Amino acid sequence: MKKMLAGLAVALLSLALCFSSALAEDEIVFGETALITGVFGFAGGELHEGIVDYFNYTNENGGIRGHKIKHVFEDCGYKVDCSVAAFKKIQAEYKPLFYSGDSTGFMKAINPELKATENTLMSGVSYATNLTDAATYTRSFIIGPSYSDQMAILLTHAANEQPGAKIAIVHSDSGFGNDPIKAAKVKAKELGLDLVEVITTKSGSVDVTTDVLKLRRKNPDYVLFHGYVLTPINEFMQQMRDLGLKTKFMGTYWSSSELMIMKGGPSADGYLGVMHLNYFDMEKSPGKEWDAMRAYNLKVHPDKASRPNFYMFGWFQGMVWAEAIGRTLDAGKPLTAENLRATINAIENWDTGGIASVPVTFRNNSIPVGRIFRANIAKGRYEPVSETITIN
Amino acid sequence: MRIADAVSSYSDDEAIFRTRTQRVWMGILLACLLAFPFVVSPYLLFLGCLIGIAVISATGLNILVGLTGQISLGQGAFMGVGAYTSVWLANQFALSLAVTLPLAGLLTALVGVIVGLPSLRVKGLYLAIATMAASVILHFVFVHWESVTAGNLGLNLQHAKLFGMELDSDFKLYFVIIPLALIAVTGARNLLRTRIGRAFIAVRDRDISAEVLGVNLLRYKLLSFGLSSFYAGCAGALWAYFFKVITPESFPLEVSIFYLAAIIVGGMGTILGPILGAAFMTLVPEMLKVLTLLLEPIIANAQVHLAPMKGVVFGILIVGFLLFEPHGLAEIWRKIQRFFRLWPFKT
Repeated sequence: MKKMLAGLAVALLSLALCFSSALAEDEIVFGETALITGVFGFAGGELHEGIVDYFNYTNENGGIRGHKIKHVFEDCGYKVDCSVAAFKKIQAEYKPLFYSGDSTGFMKAINPELKATENTLMSGVSYATNLTDAATYTRSFIIGPSYSDQMAILLTHAANEQPGAKIAIVHSDSGFGNDPIKAAKVKAKELGLDLVEVITTKSGSVDVTTDVLKLRRKNPDYVLFHGYVLTPINEFMQQMRDLGLKTKFMGTYWSSSELMIMKGGPSADGYLGVMHLNYFDMEKSPGKEWDAMRAYNLKVHPDKASRPNFYMFGWFQGMVWAEAIGRTLDAGKPLTAENLRATINAIENWDTGGIASVPVTFRNNSIPVGRIFRANIAKGRYEPVSETITIN
Repeated sequence: MRIADAVSSYSDDEAIFRTRTQRVWMGILLACLLAFPFVVSPYLLFLGCLIGIAVISATGLNILVGLTGQISLGQGAFMGVGAYTSVWLANQFALSLAVTLPLAGLLTALVGVIVGLPSLRVKGLYLAIATMAASVILHFVFVHWESVTAGNLGLNLQHAKLFGMELDSDFKLYFVIIPLALIAVTGARNLLRTRIGRAFIAVRDRDISAEVLGVNLLRYKLLSFGLSSFYAGCAGALWAYFFKVITPESFPLEVSIFYLAAIIVGGMGTILGPILGAAFMTLVPEMLKVLTLLLEPIIANAQVHLAPMKGVVFGILIVGFLLFEPHGLAEIWRKIQRFFRLWPFKT
């Protein structure tokens, strides 16, 4: 028995020693709480691969100004307590310069801890409006327009296309779904749009018949969806088309993915999505970085000829972090949270080589810029239909 | 080898620790708990605090489900009530944790008593559905009572204050959470030795017989709901101080299922069960993560490819317990104790 226990202890110790990875001095560490499992695993897995591929691509091309990237992550399946534990573990061991959070709840919960860390900054999958409060969230930022800004961009497009148009908003009854609604009502009024209906549904609800009848009575020119990925948007669109309504449908980032084209059905044709990134599949190349990303993806994942925009999100997030570090090093400044934060705030009209669909400018912890893309079901892709829309 | 425990009075027979060995081991455990935050990494300290909170809530649920036999799927929502109460009191009146914690517990106990009213007419699965419905109603309140809960945006909380000291780290909070967990467990253990505890067990074993024997079902069922909810409220308040932010999504139905699973895996109706169950349910997912990390050099990208398997393995472990040791981890622990008590004469 004793021999067995001793053997087991030796084996475990050897295993731990073999697999423990030392950190090279010039390495820059990025941390991530990944969303590979759980309810958002379908998006989180792609996002994670986007980050990993960008880091591998950068390392293969010499790293960031000669510094190799080390990426450490843990999957937490959208559970705040697990994410906090992962953050503490990674923080204790690696002290990463940047960390990707996996939910709004986590990013809010970790804020006091984050501010107490030596030098860690955080971005992540959240576009929550209150993360743009730069006074409270001094170490967090959003890699794109906040939900309120996304709604504002959609409303601005509607106002440009059809001044005084009748608008309806359909959103889920969740933190995610309710986030931009108050701001959207104010913005609609400011733009002279006629907000005729606001409908709240359960997330993923499919019985939308009564809500569709309400919309039929109001006959809006545009319906803005927020707080969903696909369902019940497809149900709304299908039933409204069946009733002969000519309404245009719009949606925010998470519902403007390729899923809408693949599973939205014929009624999704013409669906308008707000996007600060370009899509993986475009009719013509928007830039050199976009070409490089596609080539790298095909090189390391030959079986994945196409990618949803969640992958683009991961790649872009890695790019922003690397850009902030590169610019800070170029300025001869040490890599501290204050310097990195200042660098990010100073990013103005950054050309990402076609990864972002807009010139990237940071304001109040976010990129309040976007563009409208239209779903073309026949071609199986989104096409840009607006110029850059910036929200002040 | 110890072959028997000789007791010569009823008080000795009812004592929590009946032998010197038990007292020594308890002393060692307390010393380990005291030394724990000084020797472990922040990550393990975080897990230690999380287990402490889970132990309080699981112990509370065990009073209701394990001792009184009233099934509940409302523990997560009760924790939410405690969390919102403490945060609201702390934010509005700048009250210390010493005040907000008991108030959170008391208000949650009141809510628990109201939710427990259907237990007088329904039991078993019907009661589970009734408590689940209460959980949904409370979630609705968390979302829509915006003047108090700030709706979906949630509430932030500053560092807890206790006797003028700011509890601004897990290290300091540990010394609040673990003593409270010990008090909670001791309280539950003592409860078993009282008329109330015996009445709970009588209600669980056969409520009609208990009533015939003079146990007031209305009083004891509601008391059990109240006590269990008090524990949940305190655990929720500590959770809020620990994470410093609460939203309606912090306490979904899954939290209630988590605690129900914890007491089943640990061993319902025992004092040790909820402690072991809470530790098991908190630690196993973390240990599975470490395992996938260790497999990384053997299986390329193991963390990604094996991530979905963690849930499956976790589920299999729970089913395994139900099949092979339905009395839970507490029973396994008792078997180990028995083994060493008779060792080396019987193995």
